[in-house]
Amino acid sequence: MAERVFITGVGMITAIGDDVAGNLRSLRAQQSGLDYTRQLTTIYKDVLPVAEVKHTTQELSEMAGVAGKEGYTRTALLGLIAMQEALRHAGITDMQDEPAGFINASTVGGMCDTENVYFDIADPAKTGDFIRFIDTLDCADCTQRIADTVGIEGQIATISTACSSSANALMYGARLIKAGVARRVICGGTEALTRFTLNGFNSLKNIDKRPCMPFDQDRNGLNLGEGAAYLVLESESLVKERNATILAALDGYANTNEAFHPTAPSPEGDGAYAAMKSAMEMGGCVPADIQYVNVHGTATLSNDVAEGMALQRLFGEQTPKFSSTKPFTGHTLAAAGGIEAIYSVLAIQHQLIFPNLHFKDKMEELYITPETSLLEDYPVRHVLSNSFGFGGNNASLLISKYEG
Amino acid sequence: MKGKCYIQGMAAISPQHTFEGDLLSQPMAVTQGNMLSCVEPDYRAFIAPNSLRRMTRVLKMGLAASLKCLQESGVAVPGAIVTGTGKGSLQDTERFIKEIRDFEERALNPTPFIQSTYNAVNGLIALQQKCTQYNNTFVHRGFSFEHALLDSMLLLSEGKPDVLAGAFDEITTEHFFIKSRIGHWKQETIASDTLYEHVSPGTISGEGAAFFLLTPTATAQSYAQLGGLQMLYKPSPEKLHTALGQFLAQHGVQPEDIDLVLSGANADSNHLHYYDVLNSYALNTQLPFKHLCGDYETAGAFALWLGAAILKQQQVPAQWFPMLKEQPRKLQHILIYNHFFGEQHSFMLLHKVS
Repeated sequence: MAERVFITGVGMITAIGDDVAGNLRSLRAQQSGLDYTRQLTTIYKDVLPVAEVKHTTQELSEMAGVAGKEGYTRTALLGLIAMQEALRHAGITDMQDEPAGFINASTVGGMCDTENVYFDIADPAKTGDFIRFIDTLDCADCTQRIADTVGIEGQIATISTACSSSANALMYGARLIKAGVARRVICGGTEALTRFTLNGFNSLKNIDKRPCMPFDQDRNGLNLGEGAAYLVLESESLVKERNATILAALDGYANTNEAFHPTAPSPEGDGAYAAMKSAMEMGGCVPADIQYVNVHGTATLSNDVAEGMALQRLFGEQTPKFSSTKPFTGHTLAAAGGIEAIYSVLAIQHQLIFPNLHFKDKMEELYITPETSLLEDYPVRHVLSNSFGFGGNNASLLISKYEG
Repeated sequence: MKGKCYIQGMAAISPQHTFEGDLLSQPMAVTQGNMLSCVEPDYRAFIAPNSLRRMTRVLKMGLAASLKCLQESGVAVPGAIVTGTGKGSLQDTERFIKEIRDFEERALNPTPFIQSTYNAVNGLIALQQKCTQYNNTFVHRGFSFEHALLDSMLLLSEGKPDVLAGAFDEITTEHFFIKSRIGHWKQETIASDTLYEHVSPGTISGEGAAFFLLTPTATAQSYAQLGGLQMLYKPSPEKLHTALGQFLAQHGVQPEDIDLVLSGANADSNHLHYYDVLNSYALNTQLPFKHLCGDYETAGAFALWLGAAILKQQQVPAQWFPMLKEQPRKLQHILIYNHFFGEQHSFMLLHKVS
């Protein structure tokens, strides 16, 4: 029988905190990370709110311990900071002890830096320092920078399925462990704000000029965010061997496709429903076992209808507490699945439900509403974490309390 | 990992005439210049005209190759769709970057942004075939396709009846120039069929799309069995040497059992030494394949297509390999070894289906 997969370390950086403890503090204080950008050059600087990590790229390179070393993009630095915390937290000091895999997720790689020099790079008449950013044009650069800096030599890959990328990275890592290909895989994603993605979502009329309002009747789109998050996944046998502390179990997961539209979900949320149901069933759970759903909840018009319909279909009148944490972190695209998986772990560890900020009015299409208060001492044993993306990609993870 | 993996159907669009007709009887297409481009088919046989108008080149190549592969396999809805791409739709990425500048971030058309998403081809295949199953895209240079294969093998061992696995990459003149600035291509302009006479820094660029329908059991129609796959990230020559020996042993073959090696050797003097590992195991007939497809992140998919075609036809297409002295005595086991600019190395082992 395949081994269980456990989460033994977590690390993250977002607009609401430089590490996991900082994120938890802001979540408890109900402190949103949304503001206007200080890093991006864009005409939307004072128009579209974003959840930006509150450090310059130079400061990030100091935090990551690579100040003065060339070629680290903001994407790579965010990832490196989160990776270092995850390894520390899991008690991994020597990477040679056990070959570790690294499954990263990215939507546009080093675009945050390359978009500023792209026309110089492409212009034969120009020469200069920008040449060093040529290698950072793709999604693999950040992964390899992070791997090389911390010394990862095992299976290494980057996944890009738009907004569900890091949920799929976690799923792939868990499956590599279950198949016996690896015993330890570090999974998650990293994303830096870019003019490219900001204009992309804005051209789709998917960005709200106000702080986003998931599951609200008056919602009008998402706010972008940036950050990185990694979770250390280990096989049951490795955990026992090294007597590691188990934070939670990754007992279920599913990836389904809507086959409906390139960028919009089906109105009945078929893909979301199928992903949640399969993930739950894989972990041996029935709807009544789930205490919390960390929803994708981007606050776009179509996502929240589809996801809400899927919740109602799956759970009916007994829909568990659910909330979108995107009003805290913004939509961090490839990092979102990782960040929200860590929030799910925190919900279990600290018996918390996080509030869905900015909610006022129930959507007319739905009879359910998100949780708007911070709930402490709430008995959380099983959490579903949803990530849905372009191309009809739907991913759902079941994260469970470890009870021996 | 338990279970087996067979190539049940396949299709490739490449700089060779690989898409239609008798696969291995076509003459070799030679490119004068260091940028090899695909011989593109008439897409109208696969894609509706109103969709075709909106789609950029690599989307068409990827979608057409995947649909032809499914058609050939007699499967309409695969159990999963998994792909690899190093660069996704470069044309769309380049276009959106330019439009952001040219229109000063105002009134932008979202289509190039949507199509630049790396999983856009996967979404299109799923949409066209109404495939609501597992769907994933790997974007890691010389491991992009190889991880798509590994994911597919995991899926088969988890019980999927079949998986559509593939890869796609394109080159544009702008990107060719950009990569020339960091020494990817040869400075001297050569004809593709003389590649191996020009050992010097850099290689020639290429592109292609190849798709495979993979199943856990063989039929009379199967092309080949994918017996083994291994990836090595930035290995030392010593580690590479040890890993190859272990890889063969682990799959129960001796070096002398390998009838043919398809090698990614690309006359790039910066990274050519890695291919010495093949000589150290005294492997039989070695044939390089990059004069046919050029080099790109997912060239491994072209090599897999080529190896599987050779095993099924039990013949090496001599007109594509002027360096071939004589046909291998038998064609039972083929080893593919490739690496992408010295970083991502992979071994694939193919067996004839008996």
